[in-house]
Amino acid sequence: MVTTENQYAIETISLTKIFPDWWGRAKVIAVEDLNLQVLQNEIYGFLGPNGSGKTTTIKMLLNLLHPTKGASFVFGGSVDSPAISGRIGYLPEESYLYRYLTARETLDFYGRIFGLPADIRKARIETLLEMVGLSGMGNRQIATFSKGMARRIGLAQALINDPDLLILDEPTSGMDPMGTRQIKDLFVELARRGKTILLCSHLLADVEDVCDRIGILYGGRMQVEGTVRQLLQQKDEMQMRTGQLSGRALEQIKRIVSSEGSPIDIEKPMDKLESFFIKVVAKARQEKQRTSGVEAGTGISGFLAEKPVVQHENILDKLVGAHPQKGPEEPEKSDRVEATKSPPVSQTQPPEADYGLLQQLTRQKTEAPLPSTETVQKEPEKPSVKKDILDDLIRKKSSGSTEITQPEKKEDTENA
Amino acid sequence: MHSIWAVARNTLAQALRMKIAAVVILLLLILLPLMSMVMDGDGTLLGKLQTFTSYGLGLISLLLCILTIAISTYTLSNDLKCKYIFLVVTKPIRRFELILGKLLGIILLDILLLGIFSAILYGCTRLIPKITDAPESQKFQANAEFFTSRIGIKTELAKDLINNRARQRYNELKSSNQIPEDMSYARIMSELYVQEAMKVKRVDPGQTKEWDFEDVRVKNADDPNTFIFVRYKYQTAAPPPDEKVYGLWQVGDLRQFKAGAAKIKTPVYNVERDEVIRVTHEFAVPANAIAEDGYIGISFFNSTALNQTAIIPEELELLYQTGNFTANYFRAVLMILVRLVFLAVIGISLTTWLSFPVAVLVCITIFFVGLTNTFILDAIGGVGATAGMIYSILLKPLLWLLPQFDGVYNPNGYIVAGRTIQWTFLATTALFTLLVKGLLMLLAGMLIFRRREVARVAA
Repeated sequence: MVTTENQYAIETISLTKIFPDWWGRAKVIAVEDLNLQVLQNEIYGFLGPNGSGKTTTIKMLLNLLHPTKGASFVFGGSVDSPAISGRIGYLPEESYLYRYLTARETLDFYGRIFGLPADIRKARIETLLEMVGLSGMGNRQIATFSKGMARRIGLAQALINDPDLLILDEPTSGMDPMGTRQIKDLFVELARRGKTILLCSHLLADVEDVCDRIGILYGGRMQVEGTVRQLLQQKDEMQMRTGQLSGRALEQIKRIVSSEGSPIDIEKPMDKLESFFIKVVAKARQEKQRTSGVEAGTGISGFLAEKPVVQHENILDKLVGAHPQKGPEEPEKSDRVEATKSPPVSQTQPPEADYGLLQQLTRQKTEAPLPSTETVQKEPEKPSVKKDILDDLIRKKSSGSTEITQPEKKEDTENA
Repeated sequence: MHSIWAVARNTLAQALRMKIAAVVILLLLILLPLMSMVMDGDGTLLGKLQTFTSYGLGLISLLLCILTIAISTYTLSNDLKCKYIFLVVTKPIRRFELILGKLLGIILLDILLLGIFSAILYGCTRLIPKITDAPESQKFQANAEFFTSRIGIKTELAKDLINNRARQRYNELKSSNQIPEDMSYARIMSELYVQEAMKVKRVDPGQTKEWDFEDVRVKNADDPNTFIFVRYKYQTAAPPPDEKVYGLWQVGDLRQFKAGAAKIKTPVYNVERDEVIRVTHEFAVPANAIAEDGYIGISFFNSTALNQTAIIPEELELLYQTGNFTANYFRAVLMILVRLVFLAVIGISLTTWLSFPVAVLVCITIFFVGLTNTFILDAIGGVGATAGMIYSILLKPLLWLLPQFDGVYNPNGYIVAGRTIQWTFLATTALFTLLVKGLLMLLAGMLIFRRREVARVAA
């Protein structure tokens, strides 16, 4: 999946776009002399305020607009060539989906354009619908979908060809926090599998969490570029994270720090609102509280917990055909065909999606009890899940553990 | 190929879910059977059949043309307007494949709908004689003149001969100084031509006129149930008192009379008719009248005992059956399909650079020009020299690009008169309309679309 001929997944050379007025005079300079280089297998955060030229750049990359000057390359070539556009997944700023098609027909249509064989297409459509939490709504017309639901289908269509490069324009707009969180996890997982992602957003929290490198665009020009750590780490401050401490211990620490001549500021850490929101909803779900309607919207995570088979293996593995541990019920045929399409990824690494939390979030009270054999299979698996969001969240509060990190600057690019 | 097919399927789904398609389908489903019941024509079975098929085919053609125009101009322009195209052209599909896919989708829809409705029309047409209480003679007439597929051979005027005679007359008049001075040569010649032509055509009382047809090949000519048809119209030098002409016709191998009565082998049929003038008439004789070498003669005798005026039989035509109604009907439907495909090509080609409302307007204009193109070409052909120059430089190439849907390109006329649409004619029409005119427009559209910035918003 990684080409040897070019180290850049995306490369632009003094890319410029000027929109002329009716008389042909330059009216708007949307992008100016942009030299963007996105390495293969990185998540690149493409940031900037509204109208800074992000979307215009993406449209030039995808040949939806022609550059006034300069050139852009994807995998070292032009997206005009089907060999290259076949490796791209694109989600535009809004989900421009045919309103008269159903969700399933939509994915089928795009799958056909990619020339996917019928069996693979069918399998992928079901997996993707399940992944984006719309498996029950596959036969509903897109016109009846809410913005967030259409966004999920938009994301699913961008993944149908198992792309090497994902170009995503505001992928989380209109999505609820759980959906956002799930998508962010998905990005990390995709990057782990060798994919490249160009993430264009002005929701900074999203970018901060997942991106390897970021670039900030303003007025069509690149203002700053670098890794998240490089850009955000404050070299002259330290932050300490501990469990609950006694007043005496605090006094001692204060004394030590002031003997170093450094100012100290002690306060209780705050949850991020995102984490807090997810915790509240998870708790409500666990208590099986009644909800009207929103079940559909929050069904996003339902894809993993719905079927025990899926729970054990990663949905992405199913998509790309590389199975770290092959599920017993996985059909042989599609497995074989799919595996020829992309080389297997790191066989040793277990899947890292947040099954624990997702399970808790999505276990539906109306669901019929699972067959006993499968339930038995499922139970012992739970503790083996390595990275659990809940663990992650709880760890912050649990006593006894101490972490010392360098604090990160709060991004404030709107004023950049 | 797979991407063309994917787009075609999508376009088909889009078209079928559009309201206009539902309206057209519903209209035709209601109107066709209704028309078969209420239409009567001139009261005879033949008249009823002719009126019904003429209106039925006309209606199917018109509604499907409008539907095709609407969908073909809507599908691409709507994709552009609603930006659906962003998610399509960024996938491994070339721009021309997208256009071909859309075109294929519309053609499939046309084939589907045309197939369904022409089948309904065909069924109704076949059903009408069964449920109508008509006398046997009318049923025979309907079978002979409607449920058939006939080719006509027209007699041609010997134009050179008439021209020569006109010139001769002119010279005679000139030498005797009888030429009016205020008349131009062209005008005198055209009048002389008309006079001479009339002399050739007219049959004075007591005289006989003969027409010869060669190489007439009819299948099963020996079968007494196989007929040939003589079609004609009477004009008279002076109107007869009852507006009627009494004609004595002979059809057969007339050469036999010259060789002597003893040598008559093939039958010669005598037909006596009394019919009103200025209306087309037709009579049938068994096909065994044709001689073995394909020769057949028709003679008309203007008897002094019956008529007092010179009679001019016009538009004389010999018709004979070459195939069956069903095959001919199928070809008529194919001719409508050629029309629909051409409109689809125009609609899609136009929307590669025009917005929906403009494209739809242009398309409808083209359609209506197509419906009257023969007339327009004829009319403009007769204008003066200066205007003619402008016309031939500017307008003619433009009109040439436009389709022709009327005159000989209108399938209704053939079906109503029970005349054969020949495969060669159909193939030439299709080739010329689609592969020359259509392809030219399609290539232009593809070229424009290839370079188009699809994300560009019109200011």
